[in-house]
Amino acid sequence: MTVKCLKGGRLIDPYNGIDEKKDLYFRNGKIVSDSEGKSTSDIENIDVQGKIIFPGLVDLRCHLNNDSVSAGNNILAASTEGSAGGYTTLLAMPDLGSIADNPATIEFIKDKISRNSKIRILLSGSLTKGSKGEVLAPLGSLKDAGVVAFTDCPLTAQNNQIFTKGSEYASMFNLPVIDLPRDLSLSRRGNAHNGPQSLKMGLGGYPRIAEELFVQRAISVSKIANTRIHLTSISSSSSVEMIRDAKLKGSLITADVTPHHLSLCEKSIKDFNPNFKTSPPLREESDRLKLVQGLLDGTIDCIATAHEPYPEHEKNVEFDLAPTGVIGLETALSVCYQTLNPQNGFSWLKLISAMSLNPSNILNIDQGRLNIGSDADIVIFDPDKNWIYSTNERSSNATNSSFEYKKFKGKIVTTFFKGSEVYCT
Amino acid sequence: MEKSNWCRKSLLGIEELTNKEINQVLDLSKVFKNELSDVEKRSDHLKGKRIVNLFMEPSTRTRIAFEVAAKSLHADVISIAEQSSSLTKGETLRDTAMNIQALGADAIVLRHSSPGSPLFLSRIVDVPIINAGDGAHEHPSQALLDLYTLQEKLGSVKGKKITILGDILFSRVARSNFWALSKMGAEVTFAGPSTLVPKRFESMGAKVSHNLKESLSDADAVILLRIQHERQSSSHFPSLAEYTKIFGLNKNRSKWLKEGALILHPGPINRGVEIDSELADSSNSAILDQVSNGIAVRMAILYLCTNSTTS
Repeated sequence: MTVKCLKGGRLIDPYNGIDEKKDLYFRNGKIVSDSEGKSTSDIENIDVQGKIIFPGLVDLRCHLNNDSVSAGNNILAASTEGSAGGYTTLLAMPDLGSIADNPATIEFIKDKISRNSKIRILLSGSLTKGSKGEVLAPLGSLKDAGVVAFTDCPLTAQNNQIFTKGSEYASMFNLPVIDLPRDLSLSRRGNAHNGPQSLKMGLGGYPRIAEELFVQRAISVSKIANTRIHLTSISSSSSVEMIRDAKLKGSLITADVTPHHLSLCEKSIKDFNPNFKTSPPLREESDRLKLVQGLLDGTIDCIATAHEPYPEHEKNVEFDLAPTGVIGLETALSVCYQTLNPQNGFSWLKLISAMSLNPSNILNIDQGRLNIGSDADIVIFDPDKNWIYSTNERSSNATNSSFEYKKFKGKIVTTFFKGSEVYCT
Repeated sequence: MEKSNWCRKSLLGIEELTNKEINQVLDLSKVFKNELSDVEKRSDHLKGKRIVNLFMEPSTRTRIAFEVAAKSLHADVISIAEQSSSLTKGETLRDTAMNIQALGADAIVLRHSSPGSPLFLSRIVDVPIINAGDGAHEHPSQALLDLYTLQEKLGSVKGKKITILGDILFSRVARSNFWALSKMGAEVTFAGPSTLVPKRFESMGAKVSHNLKESLSDADAVILLRIQHERQSSSHFPSLAEYTKIFGLNKNRSKWLKEGALILHPGPINRGVEIDSELADSSNSAILDQVSNGIAVRMAILYLCTNSTTS
């Protein structure tokens, strides 16, 4: 079998602490050593001078939004958009049309994935039955069926007893609990942040405190239940501070932030465009700056997209009636590179850690590293390529991106999954 | 009437209007008010035009005022309420509006509970959209008629102190009035309970007060808002009785007002809740002026939007 060699690129491999100009060899879907690569004459050299090479990205929060009719289509769409965004591993949230709270649903979706996906799509199981927050789901059976995390995202148990016991029970299976911190009693009809922009517009109802109270809950529960709780889609500046303090005290808590919360604030909703209606909502510039800082100082472990596709006719309605959520797989890396690159403390190692190695570590999977023998999940990024993102050029019917017609500098040009090219510009 | 140099096809809110545009509406309102008072002078500027009132929320006076305004200009008026439309059959606002356009409407007057819905519609259909209240966002015709009424009584509002009292958080009237009054140089205070008048309104440029006496004492006019206990659930204040006890305007408290200070209310009034019956009918009250001025102002809005230089 031919050895492929990515020649002359800048290799970023946070697991091995590598950021240097280095060739990378792979064969038969696996990464091989330099000596093995060089020893064969059956070699295909790919010139990647001026390009950045790193392990395939891993997304911790991705919604497939399946209905039973289009399950295959949505999986194909997510994997197509994921591979175009450099993702080779996605973690699907349990809202799969029917809630993934039983092994049969997991098996059904796994079958759909194996037949439709170009990349690795992992599944999470719900923490409670129907994600209703009332009765625990059969976590042990779900683990046997192959889930790698437990979560009720985009919901979370409002009943503190259920959440605490669920987390405690989950600790037995050594899988993380992913929590989207949201107190519904403070945000039930919330459609935007309670900030100056939404106030003028007559919107609001999803204040920071609805997140912060549940961030504190997760920190406390993680401690008493000795469970790894991962907070997803953090949006408030005070949440960052609470997580930082908890980590200093040795908490097992981890956290992620979305590309849109790193790059946008509530002013984006000024034209009532539902493509800026996210969960949690976009907050103020002061929050955004704290999120960037939290990511760069390691308080926030990773970047997750919260990718959530909706057909145009469902999303493009009156703002308060529109569903929350935006798509983001294809733009995530370009958005983050553009936002973070000029910041003090930015490095490629940090960015790729946050988008690949750290989420793998949280899920306890082997991705996010370029070790000899690892799956050849590899991305080639051209930092100088200018491009304009448009959902018109995509195959799926979802158009709910916050970055429609946005100009970017820096683009993924090729994605390999297990050594096969799954995306190329 | 000569062609106007009004270039705004739709009236979506006051925030986006220039002072010149506001004055243009008010000047034309004066002309129409004059016409209304004299049958001889009445004219048929909108003859042959079809105005559709699309009211997706209950409304009596705004809907009727727009109807009377349109009919006074000899337009054909069709009123559609949510209960009688296909929206109850699951049709979206977008489809309803496109159908209305296809049926030959020359303007749509929209009342809807979703903030931003008039802007949403204006991007879908080609006909002018006139916002008759969108959620807690804006109610531009109400603000323009309030401004008209205040100017009629006070002369200019420049430098005048206007207090808007009541449920500010959920009020489109408060927001639109704030933009109209502050653009024209008035100093606006939002007053009421801390849950309905949060401090963050200061970010708009308004003063915020939770003290009734203080907020009344130097006001040249007070605009009272209807307290809608049914809308905010019970989480924002305990009861109507408690509201009345702390923030209700009664004969006794009216002594805190300056001599001749005006009282306005967009209606419908809850007599005995936000205002005493006696005060509502007193000489300080401009409430009925608001209603009659509302016709002239809406005539001006309909005329300008259907004759804008862009349409």
